[in-house]
Amino acid sequence: MLFVATLCVVVTSCTLDKTDYESEISTVVTEYIEFDEVVSIIEGNYQIRINALNGTFYKGYNAIQLTITNTQTNESLNSSEVTFLPIMTNYNGNHTSGPHQYNLEYNIDDDYYAGYTVFTSETNDSQYWELYISFSDNGETYSVTQSINVEAQTNMNLNMTAFTGSDGEHYFIALVAPQKPKIAENELVAGIYKYNQPTGEAGIFPDPSQFSYSEVEDYTLLLDPRMPEPSMGNHSSPNNEDLTQQDDGLYYGVVNYTMTGNWTLNFRLQNSYGEIIKGTEVSTEFTPGIEGARSELHIDILF
Amino acid sequence: MKRSITLIILLFVGLYATAQNTETKKDSVVALDEVQLITIIKKKIETDMKMAVSVDEFLASSDQISFIKRGAYAWEPLLNNMSSERSSITIDGMHVFGACTDKMDPITSYVESNNLASIDIKSGQEGNMHGATVAGSIDLKRKSTPFNLSKTWSGAYQTGFELNNKQFFNLANASYSSNKFVADGSLAYRKAENYSDGNNDEVNHSQFTKFNASLGLAYKTSELSSVKVEAIYDQANDVGYPALPMDLWLSRALITSATYKHVFEEGLFRALDTKIYFNAIEHYMDDTTRPENLVHMDMPGWSTTYGLLSKANLKSNKISSEIQLNAYNNLSTAEMRMYPQDRSERTMFAYSWPGVTTTFAGLSINNAWEISDKSLLNFGGSLGINYNHSKYVEFNWIFHPGTPQEKTRLLPSLHAGYQLDINKFNFSVGGGYGHRAPSVSEGYGYYIYNSFDRYDYIGNPDLDNEISYEANASAGFSNDKLSIQAHVNYFYIENYIIGRILSLGSPMNYQSIGVKGYTSLDYSTLFNFSLNTSYTILDDLHWKGVLTYARGKDENENNLPFIRPLSYQTSLHYKYNKFNFQTSVNGDLEQIHYSPEYGEDETPSYTIWNLSADYTFRIKDYRTVAQVGAENILNEYYSTYADWGNIPRMGRNIFTSIKFNF
Repeated sequence: MLFVATLCVVVTSCTLDKTDYESEISTVVTEYIEFDEVVSIIEGNYQIRINALNGTFYKGYNAIQLTITNTQTNESLNSSEVTFLPIMTNYNGNHTSGPHQYNLEYNIDDDYYAGYTVFTSETNDSQYWELYISFSDNGETYSVTQSINVEAQTNMNLNMTAFTGSDGEHYFIALVAPQKPKIAENELVAGIYKYNQPTGEAGIFPDPSQFSYSEVEDYTLLLDPRMPEPSMGNHSSPNNEDLTQQDDGLYYGVVNYTMTGNWTLNFRLQNSYGEIIKGTEVSTEFTPGIEGARSELHIDILF
Repeated sequence: MKRSITLIILLFVGLYATAQNTETKKDSVVALDEVQLITIIKKKIETDMKMAVSVDEFLASSDQISFIKRGAYAWEPLLNNMSSERSSITIDGMHVFGACTDKMDPITSYVESNNLASIDIKSGQEGNMHGATVAGSIDLKRKSTPFNLSKTWSGAYQTGFELNNKQFFNLANASYSSNKFVADGSLAYRKAENYSDGNNDEVNHSQFTKFNASLGLAYKTSELSSVKVEAIYDQANDVGYPALPMDLWLSRALITSATYKHVFEEGLFRALDTKIYFNAIEHYMDDTTRPENLVHMDMPGWSTTYGLLSKANLKSNKISSEIQLNAYNNLSTAEMRMYPQDRSERTMFAYSWPGVTTTFAGLSINNAWEISDKSLLNFGGSLGINYNHSKYVEFNWIFHPGTPQEKTRLLPSLHAGYQLDINKFNFSVGGGYGHRAPSVSEGYGYYIYNSFDRYDYIGNPDLDNEISYEANASAGFSNDKLSIQAHVNYFYIENYIIGRILSLGSPMNYQSIGVKGYTSLDYSTLFNFSLNTSYTILDDLHWKGVLTYARGKDENENNLPFIRPLSYQTSLHYKYNKFNFQTSVNGDLEQIHYSPEYGEDETPSYTIWNLSADYTFRIKDYRTVAQVGAENILNEYYSTYADWGNIPRMGRNIFTSIKFNF
């Protein structure tokens, strides 16, 4: 028996180690689950804290959790009207924003105001972001401005794209999930927004009507995921599902990734009348050695 | 093959009967040895033509076996013209599963001819002893020297050279036996370069290097019982597979077992044989020798099996029975990692076997009832439970959304056969019914590239059991000079598992032209026929002839792939003093019934002529045999119906070998 046991030990040590699947799909992707504080602002007797995943704002979709505490009473506000407006100023002094939830919603269970914002670019030498927040307490309205740092998106699975549709509207598509895809069926979640062209003249800066965005309603985001790597010959996967809007306003679909690596999510955005607003149908031909042609509307991901 | 089981039983009975007449002390030795003696009387591992054969070449000499060949090494044995997942291939009843998704490593590639005593082939459900099967069973029996009252050393050393592929081989084995202790050991090393085809063109990537060692130690724990530990270590390096887009960098197998054997002198139970085993295989493909490949890939695979088998032999009056419990647990994992053309980019990883566990437990019973001196009824059955678990089931969900992670199947099997001997004639009829579970690739495979039909294959965990209904019959005549034996069998296989083009999905491997999913046909049918004839022309001049024919069709009357066309072999053997001369001619007719759907094309007929001569002499006390011969003397350029990608077979090959028996 000893003889057998010894031999077992000798050989169960393989020449080459098996791949650790968990670390393999974590090689280029880090998943953030914890919300941490990004900024903390003191305004009079109030402290405003904004939490986001990993305590960082990234280019792309950011879910935010905001709490306002009265530092005198040490109680947090829960019946305030909280507004949230991110504005980017570029080197020309022009102001733009990105899709965001202007009126934050109070979440009773977890005692914070929830919203989201899509940062369309990161902070750099020639452009910076500021948050304009207002809230009210005891009949008084407070406004604060806070400069923030938006970092480049390191996770390509949370990439975004902005474009003008054939209807002349300005659209944004930002990936929300999966943060860390698996070689599997993945629920693909994206936010689709459009810029609401202001109808009136700009009022006092920051005039929210000049920076208004809304969730696109009842569109369909047609999906065709493919691997662009030339040797993969335009490889695709089966059983994918186009993205449709669910109750939370986001768009949900299914993407199957058959292996790790670079993938292109080729999209076509279809409005509620069935018209294609943007995007081209891509070839389904298997073309080894040739880089797969992308739709004019696409987001590249990597995991 | 029915004969072998009968033979075992008869021998068992016979030995026991004779043993009863002698004094008890002595017969216990005999009784313990008798199980081992059976293997000795069987065919030695050599063919008529060649005494230093590989396991593959030896298997090829059976008319029930054909081969899919992907090169010069590790041929995939097809039993009754069915692919290897349909047969139960075991080593001394132990299940070993290859670790290569491309079937580069059938189990037969992990043994060597000098550690085997015989190969036991059973057709159809008669082969259910070691587990569920459709085609039958191939059991590779290891050498096992019996206990001996006097201390004995014996051994053999064989070396030789084959000219065509410059194959040099050394095979050595030795054994020691005494009253209490037996040791068997063997060492083998083969190294071959590329072979040349019939046009004298070198077939690139057809080289191989193989090392094999085995050790068995048996100790007699009492007059009637013994324990034995055995191990085989096999390693192949740098093996080319000219028909595949990849070669092998390294494969290693360790096959170990511990056996306890007990023989009973009286009563219903006559022998009890329990074995626990463990084997581990690792297999690493290599495409760095193929710069023409667009994609560089790593494709490692691992297969680990633990098992138990316990066998009891029973005898009461005219019925002898064999009951066997089989249980094993296998984990098969295979990976693929593709490298992008810009190597600084992220590699592309996936599992081709996503950590698939197969656990099987089954009980088999085979009985032989001697109805009279002339007639014998064999009947038996088995019932097994087969459980599969896919660790990374999300891989399977891509093509089969929501398929369960686990699957349990019940695998029943039944068979019966009747044999009748009337004077010089013998007849048999039989039938069988049995289920088999899909193999790991058929159930859980993920983008496994098949370079034959050039499709990527996807397994389906929800496949139904394959159900086989079979009938077989044989008739024969033999007298002093002439022996004729004809055998037919017919399989009707429900839910026949085969790959069908999937409309969804696109290939992952760049050579591939599409994706096929394993699906069940409603049914398919298979018919096999063989005719064996031998005739003693003179005392020293013998003739043998073999004719085989098979036909396989699917539910739409289309041809199944890899079905051997009409084939023949005829050989003459002449003995003159200490010389033996053999010559044989074999070939296949044109393959008319090919299957274009599975990448087959019409394969032309071929005929091969072989010749060999050997001389037996003594150097001191050692019996020595020297042999020289030639295969494919006419240097015919050919490939057979089952040569993967129509790779040409070896052209003229002159072989020499010398064997010393100690």
